[in-house]
Amino acid sequence: MSTKTPTEEDILRPTEGFSKKYFVLFGVCALALGAFLVGWMIQLRDGMVVTGLSDWGSGGGVTWGLYIGAFIWWVGIAHGGIILSAAVRLLGMDRYMPVARLAEMLTLAGLSAAGFYILVHMGRPDRMVTSVLGHYHITVNNSPLVWDVTVITAYFVLTATYLGLTLRYDISRLRGQLPSFAPQVGGVQFPDLYGKVYDMLTLGYTEKEDEVIERMVWWVALAIIIMAPLLLHGGVIPWLFAVLPNYPSWFGAIQGPQFLTIALTSAISGVILVSYAFRRAYDWDHIITDDIFRGLLLWLGFFCLLFLWLQLQQLTAGSFAPTVDHATATDSKFSHPMYVVPMLMVVSVLAFIFATVLRPSLFSKGRAIVAGVLVLIATLVEKTYFVLSGFWYPTFSIYEATPGDYFPSAIELLSLAGTIGMVVLFFLVISKLVPVVELHAVEHLRGDHGHGEHEPSDEHAGEPEVEA
Amino acid sequence: MSADDESFHPLGEEWEGELETMLDDTEYDSDLGMEMAKDAMRVTKGELSEAEFHEMYHDDVMEEFGEDNRPTEEAYEEMQAAEEGTVSRMLSKFEGDGEDSRRDAMKKMGAGAAAVGLGAWGTVDDGEPEAAVADTQQQVEEPDGTQWGMTIDLERCDGCLSCVTACQQENQTDQGVNWMYVLAFEDDTTEGGSPAPDVRGGMDGYNMLVRPCQHCTDAPCEKVCPTTARHTREKDGLVLTDYDVCIGCRYCQVACPYGVNYFQWDEPQEATEEEIADQMGVEPGEEGDHMMDERGRWVDSRAPRGVMSKCTMCPTRQDGLMGDDRIGTTACEEACPPDAIQFGDVNDERSDAHQHGEYPSKSRAIIDIVRNVPSPEAIDGILSEDDDLESAIEAFEDDEDDDLDRELVSIMKAIEIVSDREEPPEETNDTILEQEQTVLESVDALEEYVDLESEDVLAELQLGDGSEDDANLRLRQYAGVAGSSFKLLEDIGTNPNVTYIGQNPGPNAEQVDGPVAYDDIGQTDDRKEVLDEGTVGDAGVSL
Repeated sequence: MSTKTPTEEDILRPTEGFSKKYFVLFGVCALALGAFLVGWMIQLRDGMVVTGLSDWGSGGGVTWGLYIGAFIWWVGIAHGGIILSAAVRLLGMDRYMPVARLAEMLTLAGLSAAGFYILVHMGRPDRMVTSVLGHYHITVNNSPLVWDVTVITAYFVLTATYLGLTLRYDISRLRGQLPSFAPQVGGVQFPDLYGKVYDMLTLGYTEKEDEVIERMVWWVALAIIIMAPLLLHGGVIPWLFAVLPNYPSWFGAIQGPQFLTIALTSAISGVILVSYAFRRAYDWDHIITDDIFRGLLLWLGFFCLLFLWLQLQQLTAGSFAPTVDHATATDSKFSHPMYVVPMLMVVSVLAFIFATVLRPSLFSKGRAIVAGVLVLIATLVEKTYFVLSGFWYPTFSIYEATPGDYFPSAIELLSLAGTIGMVVLFFLVISKLVPVVELHAVEHLRGDHGHGEHEPSDEHAGEPEVEA
Repeated sequence: MSADDESFHPLGEEWEGELETMLDDTEYDSDLGMEMAKDAMRVTKGELSEAEFHEMYHDDVMEEFGEDNRPTEEAYEEMQAAEEGTVSRMLSKFEGDGEDSRRDAMKKMGAGAAAVGLGAWGTVDDGEPEAAVADTQQQVEEPDGTQWGMTIDLERCDGCLSCVTACQQENQTDQGVNWMYVLAFEDDTTEGGSPAPDVRGGMDGYNMLVRPCQHCTDAPCEKVCPTTARHTREKDGLVLTDYDVCIGCRYCQVACPYGVNYFQWDEPQEATEEEIADQMGVEPGEEGDHMMDERGRWVDSRAPRGVMSKCTMCPTRQDGLMGDDRIGTTACEEACPPDAIQFGDVNDERSDAHQHGEYPSKSRAIIDIVRNVPSPEAIDGILSEDDDLESAIEAFEDDEDDDLDRELVSIMKAIEIVSDREEPPEETNDTILEQEQTVLESVDALEEYVDLESEDVLAELQLGDGSEDDANLRLRQYAGVAGSSFKLLEDIGTNPNVTYIGQNPGPNAEQVDGPVAYDDIGQTDDRKEVLDEGTVGDAGVSL
């Protein structure tokens, strides 16, 4: 733990000026996103034939592939971010307050990437408004895809509201130190553009509202923490698959909890990576402390354990006395590298986290980063395998061309780079605009606020150890 | 439902109140709507005749909506004679026919009044007002209406793939878009396939499966569709895709357990919309362009780029837009040499689909012999009063044009014994009962000259004592014992409208090479081979 005292200047540092590294990273990400946008334009011009997809059945392929796998992955990442942040508020886990806002932002960025994938995946994205909204009152009764769009939208709105409300406190207090930019173009003096954004964000702010906002945020956090696990990644996303009886690898009640564990592992990994990046870039060792990484890693271990436990349930039920279709689907899991390798990756991450509990000196931030990256790769590959395996091992598997062939096309693969670039760009832009660490967090670290004691938060962080 | 409140609607006062509020939100007169709904209820209870109902509100309707296209009283009675009228029908008469215009009519009536009226109809119909009210948002169920479907006699399929080609050509689908797909399969219990029946068709050593869309009554593809593009056509139960609405999410293809959907991954290769319409001699968008059905929705022929397609069961034909003689037929049915595909209204006991499914041996026998049966005129010309079976057969032996042997007489008579002499339905071009009539006319003519009822003759014809059981036995002997009748994946609960006769593929069934390869007839089996050409950066490997 650093001995430096966190200050307002610390959390404002990202908004001051642009470094060379910033421009390089911005350029690389913009290039990745741009390259994918070009790929998407080609797809719009030539049709979905540019992908490696085909029809399942006699058509010798799979009809959903990497786009849907990556969609689930991004929703998962988005998911846990806000849960973590809501837990800080509801359960008093103040230890994580410095990364709470980063987690909220990761939620917005992740959901945007997921939403983008919905569009990219469609044959006629131009009809999204007329065809989907126009029949919403009918289709919302039946179509899991409509449930998805509904819940993701609601989730996005809640998160944005949540973030917007908490930003008012910070911006109104730090307004004088935030950047301004009033360009003069061709003799015309523009007003301060940053100022316009801040004015809008703090519209009608008075100090009297702080208490009210705090209560509102508590309720929004409660709504999110109920809705996210029950309805989003433990609900409508797995229900896209789990309600279809003709795919043994999808059908069944376990997919809700299973998806939830995948979401939480990948989300915590995402938060670890983003937090580490900011800490490194802005010397925030004293704000995003080693202690936070240790805590996050323990949570990651706990959710990895749940993840593997639910996978084990599926393997057991699918191989003891399975039906014919179920047996085929489970057999594949024991042999397909897209399943076996991700499982081994998660097992090794779990083993490492166990080891750090027994011998704390094994912990290092570098290793925590590696663990996060491994989990993110594992969840992406496992989720993509999950999507493909449905079409590979359907109940009606009579067709010679089933299981079909699939390998993501260059454009599909580029979509991964493109959406990762998009999410990084989101952080690069938003960190120039508003503080990505809450003012509350700095006040809390300095002991300005009576925000609860350290002991209870340590207790919470200790839970995974006990469970393990 | 409450018995003591004063409401007219079976769902009670509270429900009525809600409906009235809904009506208030529309631009039309709430009081009129509620009054009409109230009287519509009386119609369903039989307290008021439809004609009276019509007359009562004519002036009001004219004033409020500016039109009242309901039939006049005379036309009304005429219609009543043809079919029992319903409230829904009355409502639909505000503007033409069909689903869309009915919706329009509902809007005009105010959604509330329509719901009250239809709810009332539901009450007398099946005693479940809640279900009926819920249905007004989706489709109104007509349990006894037309439901197109098929009975496919797999034992008579010889795997020639004529149906595959006919479908591809009729609908101009791309290579590998096999809306109709035929495959041979084996599983552990049926290796070697079942023997072909003695009648026309079939292929020894092969188990065949003919797989069009099953046009399920509870279609999962429709349920999951986020747009209503995949829908069931109200008038005849066809499950169709509105190519103008589909967003190409492919969830229907995912939800369908049979794998019948084919996405249009790129620009259609076979024909432009102009060319499709041109084959029908009209411009695209005009009636009968083989794309728009009678409701004006684009549901027929191959899909445009970016949307989903599948077997349609030829709505253009069913709507009479290819001529009256094509109603009740499909391209694949017409093309099938051994008549293994029997298309028709599965709710009509006289349809080919029902007849072949219920009486496969008789139906097979009819299809097999009908072309060889001598006409009544020929019989009259060849036979004379004093003929017996022996001499009649000899007389035919001497005739150059017509043949009549003992076996043919036996089968003709067997058909006559088991037949209910039901008339074929009009308008739907069903052939089995029609052909049965042809056979029966000849049997009747034959019996004018030859006694086929005596003990000796029946014995000679292998018809036992002439009972239905014995006749059925004889038909089975002749046409083969039909395999079990089944529907594909019945336990999944889709309620398919295709019934099969033959070997039900088990869970271990695997496709094997069939008698005819797709390549041999200029078709593509595995579409992926075609689509790979368009993949950007095709790695040439598979996960």
